[in-house]
Amino acid sequence: MLEAFEILTTSGVVLWSKSYAPVGAHIVNSLINDVFIEEKVVPQNAAGVSPVFKKEKYTLKWRRNKEFSLIFVAVYQSLLHLGWIDKLLENISTIFIDIYKDQLKGNRTRITTYRFDPYFEQQVRELEDNTGSVAEVYDAEIESKKDLLVSSDNGGPPPPVPGFLKAQHQAARAGATSDEGTPPATPDTSRSTTPNHILTGKSGPRTSRRARKAANASANASSGDEHSRSRKPAKSTPAKKMRKWDADGYADEDDGEILDYSAPAEDGDVAAPAVEAVAQEDWGRRTGKGQFVLKELGEEVHNILDNADAEKSKDGAASGVVGSGFNAIGGFFRNIVGGKTLTKSDLQKPLKAMEDHLLKKNVAREAAVRLCEGVEAELVGKKTGNFQSVDAALHIAMEASLRKILTPTSSLDLLREINAVTAPTTKQHAPRPYVMSIVGVNGVGKSTNLSKICFFLLQNNYRVLIAACDTFRSGAVEQLRVHARNLKELSSRENVGEVELYEKGYGKDAANVAKDAVEYGAANKFDVVLIDTAGRRHNDQRLMSSLEKFAKFANPDKIFMVGEALVGTDSVMQARNFNAAFGTGRNLDGFIISKCDTVGDMVGTLVSMVHATGIPIVFLGVGQHYGDLRGLSVPWAVSLLMK
Amino acid sequence: MSTQASWTSLTGILTFLFEGSLSAIAVAILITFGVPILLHIFFFRTVASPPSSNFLLLGPSGAGKTAFTTLLESKSSTSAKKTQTHTSQTSTLITVSLPPTVPTASNRYRSINDPSLKEASKNPVRYRLKDTPGHGKLRESQGLAELVSMSASKDIKTKIRGVVFMVDTAALTDEATLRDSASYLHDVLLVLQQRALGKGKSSTKRDAEIPVLIAGNKQDLFTALPAGSVRERLEGEIERIRKSKSKGLMDASADGGDAEEEEVLGDDDGKGVFSFKLLEQVGIKVDVVGGAVKGDAEEEVGSGVRRWEEWIGMCL
Repeated sequence: MLEAFEILTTSGVVLWSKSYAPVGAHIVNSLINDVFIEEKVVPQNAAGVSPVFKKEKYTLKWRRNKEFSLIFVAVYQSLLHLGWIDKLLENISTIFIDIYKDQLKGNRTRITTYRFDPYFEQQVRELEDNTGSVAEVYDAEIESKKDLLVSSDNGGPPPPVPGFLKAQHQAARAGATSDEGTPPATPDTSRSTTPNHILTGKSGPRTSRRARKAANASANASSGDEHSRSRKPAKSTPAKKMRKWDADGYADEDDGEILDYSAPAEDGDVAAPAVEAVAQEDWGRRTGKGQFVLKELGEEVHNILDNADAEKSKDGAASGVVGSGFNAIGGFFRNIVGGKTLTKSDLQKPLKAMEDHLLKKNVAREAAVRLCEGVEAELVGKKTGNFQSVDAALHIAMEASLRKILTPTSSLDLLREINAVTAPTTKQHAPRPYVMSIVGVNGVGKSTNLSKICFFLLQNNYRVLIAACDTFRSGAVEQLRVHARNLKELSSRENVGEVELYEKGYGKDAANVAKDAVEYGAANKFDVVLIDTAGRRHNDQRLMSSLEKFAKFANPDKIFMVGEALVGTDSVMQARNFNAAFGTGRNLDGFIISKCDTVGDMVGTLVSMVHATGIPIVFLGVGQHYGDLRGLSVPWAVSLLMK
Repeated sequence: MSTQASWTSLTGILTFLFEGSLSAIAVAILITFGVPILLHIFFFRTVASPPSSNFLLLGPSGAGKTAFTTLLESKSSTSAKKTQTHTSQTSTLITVSLPPTVPTASNRYRSINDPSLKEASKNPVRYRLKDTPGHGKLRESQGLAELVSMSASKDIKTKIRGVVFMVDTAALTDEATLRDSASYLHDVLLVLQQRALGKGKSSTKRDAEIPVLIAGNKQDLFTALPAGSVRERLEGEIERIRKSKSKGLMDASADGGDAEEEEVLGDDDGKGVFSFKLLEQVGIKVDVVGGAVKGDAEEEVGSGVRRWEEWIGMCL
């Protein structure tokens, strides 16, 4: 069953919502954060199917409207498979926008009260009914209730066959919903045919009806119908019967017509009663929960949906033959003057050019394609500004998109984090060394960047322990020893900080060495422990699997991955594989992009890596000296990329 | 016959028009005076000039910015409606009116019995409030960019009268939230300081100062910190940010030649302890006022934001 349905604006205001069960606001918030803002989760966008997002035990489906910047979100339990949610989202968005078009355009959008409940109820009920037995029991319940209530309207004539009733719904709508699937074959057990009906059937109103409609040949058939139905098990109790009599006693006038249309269900004589049945349809119907929905509402809703469909098909037709000429000329002018509504075909060429441009900037193909797709989805249906060409609009959108990707959710201030750990303000945490480890592919500059970070920390007067956990490659420990000696020399000259190397030679298990190093650091009151690891190929399962143990043993506060700015398409897979290597619940905390000075303005690797994982870039290596470590400046990177 | 012909041919119509008959003159007069009036009615009736005082609403995500704007919006309209809010993705500009009971700075010296005050209560002061998304990824591009453009603008329509920085006082006890809020506030204050200092150098005429209100929201919660404590914590955290900023790494863009020295918040070159008082030297007044968007059920709707509205009133 549907848990909640919300209609909200991109500025965060819920315009209308309906909840059947309490759903925390954080569910929808996480949808907005993860999907719309951070784009962590990339929804699969199949044609005609709304994208899906899963959070806790809920599944969220949504639909965006760009023109009014609305988001329609449906929340339901992940256990259920509700096939009609897509249709519901589509219909509701069409209806809502159609009804409240004027309010949405005005500036009082946010404070208008939207009396949308009846429309929504109508849609839910209709779609639920149409989709057959989602849950058979539930469906049966609805059917039985409905039958009871319908019969109560008519002063207790036999209920129409549910299947037949539906068929008439369909007929009355006359093609409006013809594409909504066939009326489901409701299981027989769901019909609440009871002996009561026979009793009422034989009571006063019944005879009066017969008197009025004596000429109608279907009367006999109707009674025959009742007999056949009376064999089915009884469900409703006399108590229920009493209630329905109370509720709608006035409905007696209609009973003649109603009785008529129940009859020909088995009879061949359909024509005459069918008309009357429709007449009853005009009057209204009951919802599954017994609320009365006026026919006008249903009709209004279907009209809206019909119009929307017609519009769509018209659009398709217009772009075919006649309209193309005018559109081409108009489009040409609009391209210069602006105010053009962008379509997929308008964007095709500039997007291709933009993709090539990104590829030239060394952005991995996968990332470039996805960026372009995102920008396209954002732009299609938008209007360009005054005197703004398509290219300019695309350029702006791409720049915004890049900026959004590169901007971290929370900026990392390493020094402050180290201070928080080594000298906690609260008494609850005991001071301990801050542990950082560095991973990466062979030869990207792990040890170099580690010593750069070490130099930076030494400048800030920290006591740093370097742990040589590359116990694999010959010369790795000696390399670090040289770095440590140099840094010690530098720090003693400037009289800042202290550095020491922790080494256990070659051949040992790296995870154990790391663990010992952290313990050693804690015992000797070091502020920071920097762990160097062996370089490994990201698609080598054997080497990568040891990282999980390493993360568990050393338990670093931060794991940074070093990536070369030189690497091209492979950067995406590198980032992804390393991000996944630390087991569940542990990810990378940041990237260090090395060798940025060697690529000039082709800094596409930055984008590829962040795009693949959503993990921010912390440092950039921009030279050969210890001091050549920089923080990321987003405007700088974006301007290089868009140049 | 002749009249028939005059309506079918062009020359006939022209002849009729230039004949000088009374009806033609009447029609001409009607058109000459009517068309401008009609055009005026058509184009200018619906567009009321927007109020020229703007306020910018900033703050981290989840502080209650959107809830505050919707509350003000529903307060200033007749239909009181409680709305839920979610994380914002875009900024919105709304026009709201100040309740007549809230005093404004322009009426500061008036006597209580001044009849013009009664007049003012019929015509509430209107101002515009810009709500911005507080999500980390959108701050730079929307919140701060908006602040920079609004504070730099000379146009009276977009000129900014004050900044409301909203924080969640109940969540400030959490280290991470405090750090996040403080670093955003630091960035905001830095922008304002740069503006104030830059203006002082270039032009003799100083621009209007932009005061900052730190609106401590969610005071209705049990765990909420009082305003004084909020001030203390934010000052302490900004001090820490200032220290680590001065020691931190340079940006990659700094290599581009213009290695301008990074500015330090507060005009004392990073010496001494930071407090909001330091900023008053450069003309940024910072107030910390507690309040609650969501009040108790029995209270009148929006009574928790009264003190913030008073602050806004003092800026008008």
